[in-house]
Amino acid sequence: MSETCCVVRVASPLRSYTHGKAQVTANGATLHDILADLDRQFPGMRFRMIDEQNRIREHIRLAINTAMTGNLQHKVNSGDVIHLLCALSGG
Amino acid sequence: MSLSRDELARYSRHLSLSDFGLDGQQKLKAAKVLVIGAGGLGSPALLYLAAAGIGTIGIVDFDKVDLSNLQRQVLFASDDVGKPKASTAAKRLQALNPFISIRSHEVELNADNVMTLLNDYDVVLDGCDRFATRYLVNDACVLLRKPLVSAAIHRFEGQAFTCVPGRSPCYRCLFPEQPSGELIPNCATAGVLGVLPGVMGTLQATEAIKLITGMGSLLLGRLLAYDALDMNFTEFEFARRRDCAVCGDHPVITAPQASVESCAATDDAGIAATALHALLQSSLVNDLQLIDVRDPHEYLLDHLPRSINMPLSTLEEQLQQVNRNQRIVFVCRSGMRSNQACQIAMRLGLNNAVNLNGGLQHWNDSVPANQRCML
Repeated sequence: MSETCCVVRVASPLRSYTHGKAQVTANGATLHDILADLDRQFPGMRFRMIDEQNRIREHIRLAINTAMTGNLQHKVNSGDVIHLLCALSGG
Repeated sequence: MSLSRDELARYSRHLSLSDFGLDGQQKLKAAKVLVIGAGGLGSPALLYLAAAGIGTIGIVDFDKVDLSNLQRQVLFASDDVGKPKASTAAKRLQALNPFISIRSHEVELNADNVMTLLNDYDVVLDGCDRFATRYLVNDACVLLRKPLVSAAIHRFEGQAFTCVPGRSPCYRCLFPEQPSGELIPNCATAGVLGVLPGVMGTLQATEAIKLITGMGSLLLGRLLAYDALDMNFTEFEFARRRDCAVCGDHPVITAPQASVESCAATDDAGIAATALHALLQSSLVNDLQLIDVRDPHEYLLDHLPRSINMPLSTLEEQLQQVNRNQRIVFVCRSGMRSNQACQIAMRLGLNNAVNLNGGLQHWNDSVPANQRCML
């Protein structure tokens, strides 16, 4: 399976894992792989987004480019931008 | 609804807009808009809605103006510190536009009052600062079929979308449930760029005006995300969920639900300010560790005399060093971070930790000023 390097845009509440970085890169052929690679780079980050039943947490949305997806097996292509979105509460 | 000569002059730049005109201005005058929260988002939204000539504006806020609000809550002046936000905002808006009606609602929205309050208005703008209220307002809007313009902020990032029940997905379609207590990003901890809510609140006012006048296209099923640092807007499409708890095919929420936000849970696991005050004056004081989990700059400004500072961000590491035989009381500004601290302590096996209910805000309201420093 070919691996792709993607740009990942990180929601503000998740940046404590990426040392404050808004944008990182990750490798993988699917969204699942991308999240696994993120977790290797930034331990604990995946669990903030995916629960024990391998479901995307209810306050998190994942998007490939501008299309949201709930399918972790969704394939990613070179040049795709993965967005990790998080519900915000501040007003 | 007719406009007086003074109103025609005041709104002349609207009237000159070919797609807006007299008809649009009359629609604004006839409209009733409710703004939840006179804070960072509510401030610019309210100012622009009032200036635009929305005929009736409601303001829901039970809080008082704090000095730390002034960095972004542009409705208020330095002299307003300590005054109720809703009525102070009402005065400011009435001075801006005497041709409109302003209603201030100094109440905390809850499952019992939300339907009655919202029912009087045509459009709702959500600018609150807690998840429980966001879900409460969303659910009530769906149940009442009221259009909702929602925005939220965190640090340098903002989100906005509009929901017209029956036509577009709702907040629960986007984020079905709020994060659990420990995962809730906290504005006071995280900070927020002062001008950020200015952008997002202004977007909300724009959406409300478009909704009322029927101009343009709305943020229906579109989440607009703004990154102030990169200075970019990204739009994400989202659809109605057939299994949405409130607007889905088989809704399970058929009436507003009581809050489940961590603040509510705090009361069970916490200690009241008056009880802590009594404890600190008793012989049990030496069995207590007061741990202030706010950031160092907040701690330096004001703290309980016997407290030590362990910011929430490094708490887990620092808790390894505490005396496990002493009872721990976590303290923060409002009780939210200290509640999260309790959850961290429990995870580490420290079962003798509680938090100060309502934080220092409640402490300052409950303990007489001349006794606060006797500790």
